[in-house]
Amino acid sequence: MKNCIEVKNLTKEYKNIKAVDDLSFEVHEGEIVGLLGPNGSGKTTTINCILSLLNFGKGTIKIFGTKMSPNAYDIKKEIGVVFQDVAVFEELNVYDNIDYFCGLYIKDKTLRKKYIEDAIKLVGLEEFKKFYPKQLSGGLLRRLNIACGIAHKPKLIFLDEPTVAVDPQSRNNILEGIKTLRELGATIVYTTHYMEEVEILCDRVIILDKGKLLASGTTDELKALANIEEKVSLEVYDLEAKSIEKMKELKNVEDITYNNNILVITYKKGKNNLVELMDYLKTAHIKYNKIFSERPTLNDVFLELTGKELRDS
Amino acid sequence: MTVFKTYLKVLNKCKAPILMYTIFLIFFGGFNLKSSDNQMSFSASKPDILIVNEDKEEGLTKHLIEYLEKNSEVKEIEASEEKINDALFYRDVNYVIYIPKNFRQDFLEHKNPKIEVKSTGDYMASLSEMHLSRYLKIASIYNETKTEEELIKNIEETLNHSLEIEMTTKLDTTGLEKASFYYNFTNYCLLAGCIYVICLILSSFKNEKINKRTIVSSMDYKKFNRSLLFSNSLFAFVLWLFYVLLSIILVGKVMFTTNGLFLILNSFVFTFCVLTIAFLLGNLVTNKNAVNGIVNVIALGSSFLCGAFVPMEFLPTTVLNIAHVLPSYYFIKNNEVIINIEAFHLETLKPVLFNMGILLLFSIFFIIITNIISSKKRKIA
Repeated sequence: MKNCIEVKNLTKEYKNIKAVDDLSFEVHEGEIVGLLGPNGSGKTTTINCILSLLNFGKGTIKIFGTKMSPNAYDIKKEIGVVFQDVAVFEELNVYDNIDYFCGLYIKDKTLRKKYIEDAIKLVGLEEFKKFYPKQLSGGLLRRLNIACGIAHKPKLIFLDEPTVAVDPQSRNNILEGIKTLRELGATIVYTTHYMEEVEILCDRVIILDKGKLLASGTTDELKALANIEEKVSLEVYDLEAKSIEKMKELKNVEDITYNNNILVITYKKGKNNLVELMDYLKTAHIKYNKIFSERPTLNDVFLELTGKELRDS
Repeated sequence: MTVFKTYLKVLNKCKAPILMYTIFLIFFGGFNLKSSDNQMSFSASKPDILIVNEDKEEGLTKHLIEYLEKNSEVKEIEASEEKINDALFYRDVNYVIYIPKNFRQDFLEHKNPKIEVKSTGDYMASLSEMHLSRYLKIASIYNETKTEEELIKNIEETLNHSLEIEMTTKLDTTGLEKASFYYNFTNYCLLAGCIYVICLILSSFKNEKINKRTIVSSMDYKKFNRSLLFSNSLFAFVLWLFYVLLSIILVGKVMFTTNGLFLILNSFVFTFCVLTIAFLLGNLVTNKNAVNGIVNVIALGSSFLCGAFVPMEFLPTTVLNIAHVLPSYYFIKNNEVIINIEAFHLETLKPVLFNMGILLLFSIFFIIITNIISSKKRKIA
């Protein structure tokens, strides 16, 4: 599979603070790669370096096999960017906004017209063509923001948290649109804090923290990296502390939390964890209402890799 | 073309303020032009005099009294000294002439009879004194003639002799005054219109988020900037052209004289300077809400300080000293210089070219500052 993006030993410093530290990764043609990391992990800095919006100290960045630079207009032609902040003209309606941003890439009027119509259809703004940004809801604005970034049918698309603060309907529409873009052959770099979106969309995930690559691979590969095998949740009332301590002594138990009458037990790798737990509850005469077992989520992996402490935004 | 087309679409949203400034120009400018239509005229005023004649009213004495009556308002007041003094005090009369007994006879016999006078000492009294003195001087000159009739005839001819004075200026001063007033007023409209529109449009195009999208696009950023520069220059040129056409409609043919054409040229140089100011501000201002305030401070402020609304001669020296640091001062000053030029040659054009040169220097200064600011902004890393 051909590499769409090649980042090698990228280092970017801000006044002796390393925002990106010797980062290397590849993005293959046609895949959706999720770029994950807590706030300040270096995601946006990495994307800005790739797009030549930022100068960097060390490393090389190649896109479609060619070194990226601010004047690499042939490469830029094939790139679409949807920034986290909505960037549209308040004075222009939906159609004219898409027309302007598409016009920065596509000179042919007829082709552009077709592309604009396709983009409007993709994000479901057919009924809002003549609407001005002020007349659009938050979700519709996000969809317009995406349409402006992808209308020129780029081969490589950067989506920086495109679903922040949108209603479930708009989010669903956006995610469906991204899937369609992939089906049309685009390579997508997707940044988000919503792990369920990554699990639904991404072929591969890259986890960054403090400017370094912590892990990369498919969601299953990442889950396999984690030390957690199983997570059991049950509803229990008035559980005594000594019972919790007893449960911690059970085989393979990694951690136990008890909040709002919900007991969550995480297990290390091992077998028959649920059966043993239920046997213990019966023996100890602990009554429970609901119980269910699940495999660790990407969120669990993410928290395990990056830690649970709060980060500054 | 994409940038230019979008520029026009955004400009379309700014048409209301442009229209407002133009209406302002037509309304206030037109109103003032009409009120300055009044021609100045002069009318002779006659002093109030009292003649106390102790001589017989015949011959030379009669002729003198007739002459004084012709050039003054002769009042009838009781010839007591008290009444005469009261009349002088209350300015009922400006001048009292006492013609002595045997004046005619003594004058003809070269005895130099003395005419006593009383005066209020004001300019009307001076006018009466001038009339009397003129008559007596002329009469003295012709006193050598043989007969009294000939003397009176000679005096009459000399007094009736008048000089025709012709104003040699070829300038249509009224028309040029109007034109100067109009172009002084455009100082405000050009500044306000250009700064308002260009700042608003640049704050849209140079909005940090939108600008980021432009930078990552495949459009050459230099080409993008050139397109914006072209669009803004075209807008400023069209606005200037519109105001020039309006001046031809409001002021008339005088705009086609050399003075008028120089006024147009001066406004063109000023428009270029305004364009550079607007570009500088457009690069500094990112908040659209601040644009109105900036327009008011710069356009209104410099118009008041530099005499766009109130003529320069009525402005205090301190204000004019401050105005020296503003381009508007040199534009308005140049308008005043241009309308007073009668013959156009290098010597008379020197101050005009000097002021235009200063406007161009201001423009270069603003361009340099704009370049420094935008290059600093481009260095985001």
